[in-house]
Parts: sequence; C-alpha cells; structure tokens
Amino acid sequence: MAVLTTPKMVSIPNSFCAGCGHGLLNRLIAEVIEENGYEDKTIITLGVGCSCNMNHSWNGDKIQTAHGRGASTATGIKVARPDLLSIAYQGDGDAYVIGLAETLNAAYRNTNITVFVVNNNNFAMTGGQMSWTTMPGQKTTTSEAGRDPLVTGFPIKVPEIVAGFDQVAYVARGSVHSAKEINNLKKYVKNAIEAQLHNEGYSLVEVLAPCPTNWGMNLEKSVAWMEKEVLPYYQVGTLRERTGK
Amino acid sequence: MEIVFAGFGGQGVLTSGLIVSEMALQEGMNVTWMPAYGPTMRGGKAYSVVKYSDGPLGGPDMEDMDILVAMNQPSLEYMKYMKEGGLVIMNSDNVADDVEIDEKYDSVRIPCMTLALKVNNPKAANIVAIGAMIKKCGLFEEEKAKEALKKIFEEKGKGKFTAANEAAFMEGYHSL
Amino acid sequence: MKKMWKGNHAIAEAALRAGCQFYAGYPITPQTEVGEYLSSRMPELGRTFLQAENEMSAVYMIFGSYACGMRSMTSSSGPGFSLKQEGIAYMCANNYPAVFANVQRWGPGLGTLDSAQTDYLRDTRGGGNGDYRVIVYAPNSIQETVDLMYNAFDVAEKYRNPVEIMSEAALGQMMEPVAFPEFKERTEDLGWTFDGTNRPHGRIENPEKPGFVRNKIKTMEENEQQWESYMVEDAEYIFVAFGLPSRTTRNAVEQLRAKGEKVGLIRPITVWPFPAKAFAEAKGDIKGLISVESTDAGQLIEDVALTAKKTGHGNAPVYGLFSGQNIPKTKEIIEYFEGIKAGQMKEVF
Repeated sequence: MAVLTTPKMVSIPNSFCAGCGHGLLNRLIAEVIEENGYEDKTIITLGVGCSCNMNHSWNGDKIQTAHGRGASTATGIKVARPDLLSIAYQGDGDAYVIGLAETLNAAYRNTNITVFVVNNNNFAMTGGQMSWTTMPGQKTTTSEAGRDPLVTGFPIKVPEIVAGFDQVAYVARGSVHSAKEINNLKKYVKNAIEAQLHNEGYSLVEVLAPCPTNWGMNLEKSVAWMEKEVLPYYQVGTLRERTGK
Repeated sequence: MEIVFAGFGGQGVLTSGLIVSEMALQEGMNVTWMPAYGPTMRGGKAYSVVKYSDGPLGGPDMEDMDILVAMNQPSLEYMKYMKEGGLVIMNSDNVADDVEIDEKYDSVRIPCMTLALKVNNPKAANIVAIGAMIKKCGLFEEEKAKEALKKIFEEKGKGKFTAANEAAFMEGYHSL
Repeated sequence: MKKMWKGNHAIAEAALRAGCQFYAGYPITPQTEVGEYLSSRMPELGRTFLQAENEMSAVYMIFGSYACGMRSMTSSSGPGFSLKQEGIAYMCANNYPAVFANVQRWGPGLGTLDSAQTDYLRDTRGGGNGDYRVIVYAPNSIQETVDLMYNAFDVAEKYRNPVEIMSEAALGQMMEPVAFPEFKERTEDLGWTFDGTNRPHGRIENPEKPGFVRNKIKTMEENEQQWESYMVEDAEYIFVAFGLPSRTTRNAVEQLRAKGEKVGLIRPITVWPFPAKAFAEAKGDIKGLISVESTDAGQLIEDVALTAKKTGHGNAPVYGLFSGQNIPKTKEIIEYFEGIKAGQMKEVF
C-alpha cells in the first residue's frame, strides 16, 4: 500500500503565500535528495527573494547568499566539498536579472553544481515588480500599463541560452501548474541532481510557478493565465539531455 | 647605495637591477629592487631602482641616487634625483656627444652596444655597463660579481649564456 | 639563504605556505601577478585556482568555500576591491573567515596604477553596508608581507572574521630578499562549518544579538593591535606612517635625530585595529603629531587625531604630509618637519 510521506527536509507549514509554487518545488527537491540518501550530504545556497523563506522551512544545510550570487557561492561550496551535493536555489530576478553574469558563467564553466530557478514572472519578494521574465502586457508595480517589450525587452529565456553552450550536463524547464507537469518536473529535478552526483557538470532546471499574491489573481485564475500566456512562450521539457559524460 | 638603471624597454635595465641586487644579496645586505611599471612604462621607458645597505632601507623608488646608468639619452631626466657627487654612466652609443653633465656630478661615457657587439653578445650592453660601473666604483669584487651574474641567468634557465655574459662584463670592466 | 621575490609573488607563496587551498580572483593591475602565480602553483600542489567572471563572483566563491572551512582567499586592487565589499559585508554578517589582499592603486574610480594608500578609510571602516570591521595588516616590506600572510588565516579563523593584507602597488611590484616559513595545514574541524549535516553554524543569529558586534570588535581591538615604535619614548614630535611611507619616514627620523631633533615614529602594522597602545606609550611632552601618507585628502590623519584624543595627547596639533600618487621622499619629510618647526605649516586637527 502506498503511504503518503513528507520529506524530512521540508517543514510544513512554510512561509510561502497561499498558492505559491515554491513549496511544491521544495518538496520535489527534498524527495529526490532523500531518495538518493543525501539528506545529510547536501548544502543548498539560497538566493535573495522569496527563496529567503526557505531559511525557515528548509531543514537541510543552507547558506543564505547575496542577491544574484547563488551560482558563485554554490561553486565555492563544491570546491571545498566535492563529496557533497551543492544546489543553488534562486528566483528569476535573482538568477536572471541581477545575477545573470554569475548564472551564465557558472554554466559556461560547466561547474558541477545544480541550479533551480523559480520563474514566476516578477520580483515577488519586493511586491511584484517587473522582471526580465515578465510577460508582454503583464502589469507589475514598475510596468503599470503592462510590460512594453519594445522598450524593456522580451522575456528572457536563460535555459535556452545555457542549453546552447558547448558543454553543460542537463537543462530543463518544468512547471508546477498541473499534476502532469509536477510529475514531469520530478523527473527533471532527479536528472539535474543525479547529473551532479555523477560528476557530469552543470545542471539547470527552471520552474514556472504561479504567484497569486503579486499577480492579483486567485490560484485558479493564475493557472489559467499561465496556460494562456506563459506556457506557450516558455515551453516546458528537456532542453539538454544528459549524455552521462 | 641607490642605483638606477634606465633606458628603452628591451635594453635589459630590469635585469641589470636584478644582477646588482643579487651581488648585494650575496654580501648579506638588505636589498630592494623596484621596476618601473604601469604608466611609467608607456612610451617604451623602462627603469629599475636598486638600493642596498647594511641597515634598514627607505622607500623603493628613486629619490637620492648615487649612480645612474643611462642606457639612452631620455634617461638623463632622472638626473634630478642625483646626489651631489653622484655618478652617471652613459651609454655613448645612445647619448649624443654634445650632452653636457653638470660639474657637480661625476660622469663616464661607455659605448656599451659597440663593446657588446665586439664580444658577439649584442643583447648584453646592459652587462657591459655593469662591468664598467663595478670597476669605476669598486662596489663588488670582480669574482663575486661574476658569480651573481651567472646565478641570475642560470635561474632564468639561460645558463648557456654564462660565458658570453662574462665576456661582456669583462669588456665593460676593462673599458675604464 | 634568502632569495629575491616580487611582492605579489611572495604574498601568493606565503598564502600557500599558510595552507590556502582555494583562490578565486579576477585580473587587475597592479595585483595580477598574485593570480598568475597561483594559477600555475596551486594545481602543482593539488589545490584549486579559479579565474572568476568578476570580482563579486570571486568573493562569493570563497564565501561558499570558507563556509565549508576551506582556507580560501582572493585579491584585487582599486575598483575591483570596491566590488568585493558586498561580499566582505556578507562574510561579516555570517561570521565567516576569509583572507583578502588589496594591492592598492591610487585614486577613485579607475584611478591610476601609481602606488598609494587611498583605500585606507574604506578598508579600515568596513567598506560595505552595516557595522563591522576587518582586521587590516599594512606591511612595509616583502618579508613582513609574507610573515603577516602566514598568520592571516589563523587570525581570520580565530575571530571568524575577514582579514586583509593591505599592500601598495610598489610593494607588490618590487623585489626584496625573502625567507619563507614551512608549509602548514589546519587539519582540525572548526566545529561550525557547513558539512551538509545542518549542525549549528552560529551564523545569522549572532550579529543580531545585542552587543555581539560591539563585543567582537572590542575583543579584536584589545588583542590584535600591532605596531613598531621608533624613538618614540622621549619624542616631542611623533611621525605616524605605515607601509612604504613608513620607510622613508624612518629615514627622516634618523636624519633628524642626528641633527638633535627629538622625533620618533609610530608605524601601525595593523591599521585596524589602530594601535592606540603605541600612542599611550609616548611619554614625552608632545608638540606635534605628523601623519605621513600616500593620499591626497588625508585619511590616516583621522585615526592619528582620534587616537591622540583617546590616549591623552588631545592637545597636540596634528599635521599631515599627503604625497598623493608618490611615496613621500625622505627629503620632503625633513623639509615638511622643518616647516612645522618654523611655524609655516598649519595643523589639520
């Protein structure tokens, strides 16, 4: 008989808002770490943004780094402890805006770390400002009339950029908006973590997630908006398969 | 003792300083060597400053020099830091004959490049100048100076030039 | 027997002797030779050199590695060291040790490559956001640079606080005879470091506790002051200088003493904590304190004046000889002093 268990590495309740996608991703990451027996051999680097909430709900070892420097910090951890799993957990503002250089350069070097980026199309912790992932026409507190991509740029696709590098181990984009995609996401998370455990190199999983609080919608509407606006632009799936090398 | 070796980039003035530093080091003295770097090197200028003493040393840069080895004419601008009674050794192959040196300084003219060519070591004009300087001032014993010269080049992996360098050194040494 | 070593190479070799396992950095003149040297030497020793994409990334790499207890360092100069300040503040917030080398160039912004001491106030006051201090050593010779670097990791780990070696462009580029200490390695577990087991790290909580920051700073101030005093005891005029200017100043003191002037020199070796104890030792009737520094506006002079006040010499006028992009020459220092005696120089404080 299947028994529903909660991974030890996450506390419930957590500090995320109702309907937020972070909690689901936290749980999937914890499950994969525990399935690999790494709950006492993992250090997670938390970016600045809603990732900071994990200081209160992530039960494993965690380092709170500065805004944008997650990949660099995770790199240093991996240098010191190549025997441990080093994960950077960041949001889109953290990893793709202020930390774009650090994110791309860690990937460029094919550093043996795993990066998870929650993409909820806005700067959520500071109250919903425009991010490089904000959709055209999307209203935020710094794009009140709706984002004009001709002025501020089109939503950035970092996984696609990284997947184009000569050597990275694994790149995927998943989503938490449906049960089916959550199941797929679990596979992406598993591949990303196992790529590091097998010393294959850099792995990145971007995770599309609702942010009902800052989108000003309930969860149902948030999911509908994702399906209509976000998913057609940010297509889910594996962008770089593992080669096992 | 404060000695400045100055010239164009490529005339070996940094190495000159290192050779003399090694001589002082072998005598157990405190030594400091400072190269011109960064902006001072723009326009092809190069120099190195060597100071040595039994006691504590002051700043590394030129300020009150005893000897200036000027491998070219523009290097004479550093005469402003020359001590009264100091010595300037000019490479006369690169300093015009009509250049006058104030009487309060001692000066000698050595055709360093010509002498280096004479011993088939055209790159060793700087070593010719050192030979002349050591003879003129009696700073170090000839044999010890040659030992330091040998060591510097051996450490750079250029031990095979030892004989040629010694020849250049002696050419300068006997030029006075 | 001692061998001639370039300052930047010596600082790198000393770090290796001290057990540094990881260096991350970004090239910038006049400190690039530190990274160049380590890039070939560290792999030979089975250690890690990493050329980072920028200064921030480098500092966070060692933030991560030292959190795990690995002896790690970075180095920079001028604007590059400014970029590292955010990371230094993060290390202080988390009580992480780390070792930095700042081979100072002159000036704000891009500055120039000239030798200077114009980062003094930034580095001795923390430099990043919040309230913290970094232990800052200011050597005046290459041998002293080596000796201070050799202990830097131990001190950083003792206090769980960053330590900086504050060098100067000329000190990085020049060569002097050096003897190196033996290789050492810390093998014991520091107890608090990250090992994946989520043991207590004593990190985020501590700085928020009332009095924690103040007490930590006070302890370092009490224990770590280092200085050299030269003919200070009966001095009427005391020069204060560190780094390369302290060497020409010492020469000036010698020459002035030979002329019968009662002068002395206090040379801070730690510029933070500033050696107030050295000032307390001066028993003469002090007629003036003279800060000699390679700055334009005067930076060290602020600590000289504050420390004079703290140590009972508050009535002494404080003069400043600021030599900008140059190391002040012995002659200039003597002339300046003679100007003070003749009443031609105006005190700053």
